[in-house]
Amino acid sequence: MGRKYKRYVLLALAVVVVTGVTIGYRLWNKPHEDIKDASAIKINAIALYNTLANDSLYKSTTFINKVVEVSGKVKQVSENQQKQKVILLETNVSDGSVNCTMEENVKSVKAGDSILLKGICMGYVGGDKNIGLPGDVFLIRCYHSF
Amino acid sequence: MIRHIVLALIISVVSNISGYGQVYFTKNGHISFFSKTILENINADNNQVISVLNTQTGLLQFSLLNNAFHFPKAKMEEDFNEDYMESSKYPKSTFKGTIENIDNIDFTKDGTWNVKVNGDLMIHGITKNVTVPGKINVKNGTIAAQAAFKILIKDYNIKIPSIVSNKISESIDVMVECSYQKR
Repeated sequence: MGRKYKRYVLLALAVVVVTGVTIGYRLWNKPHEDIKDASAIKINAIALYNTLANDSLYKSTTFINKVVEVSGKVKQVSENQQKQKVILLETNVSDGSVNCTMEENVKSVKAGDSILLKGICMGYVGGDKNIGLPGDVFLIRCYHSF
Repeated sequence: MIRHIVLALIISVVSNISGYGQVYFTKNGHISFFSKTILENINADNNQVISVLNTQTGLLQFSLLNNAFHFPKAKMEEDFNEDYMESSKYPKSTFKGTIENIDNIDFTKDGTWNVKVNGDLMIHGITKNVTVPGKINVKNGTIAAQAAFKILIKDYNIKIPSIVSNKISESIDVMVECSYQKR
């Protein structure tokens, strides 16, 4: 009886440990959110920029850290230090953009195109008032949406 | 008389423009950090750094959104934003300082110059005065800046839960690389 009992306890313990380690491992290695297929808040670049640029206290929780699908006109396409494509969308502030870092490698996008981009909205960073440089609204992990 | 006023106006406008000519900026600078731990190395990249450099006065500024640091693992990113950096409470990190030996740099010539940058680094709502070494590179009129330095997480009051505190390094390696365009 005692030996049998001990065996059950050991077995139960082993199950608990294995389950715990598996859950922990899975949690630690869970993948990033799939942006391409995520549902998104739809908005145009001008409205998104104006909303966040005027929210100096970072009160807006509608867009920040959310997947958004932004429509707009491409102002510039460039490459960052890590060779990711960066697409700037026009706003009604000259030199202020919705700044989208692409996760997907887009090739055919050029300035002047009307485009739909999906990505995670990080928020607005101010520029430099002394030199009249406005800030940008940043989107990361972006995909070309259709 | 009017001629003088017009002349003065022209001079002030021109000097303003040339003043602007000394200012360079980027909105997609790169700041990354690295920390060695027993279990796994932790690193993250932020390619959304706004930086402004005045080549005449040496003024140098950086500002970034903490939540834009992207980690290889989703869980690391979540822990960083929620437990360590508290990104919703402290959305931005900034640096405002000057390149001390800016006069040594000849921005009209190609070359690399070692610089010393001093200023206020604000992370997690805490501001510390720091001096870090860096490099300015000029090539075909393009200005790039690089720096690598260490920060201590306790200096910025970043609390690491005790269960993992002995696994996370006290110091974090920070790397900066920006390529500037003329304003």
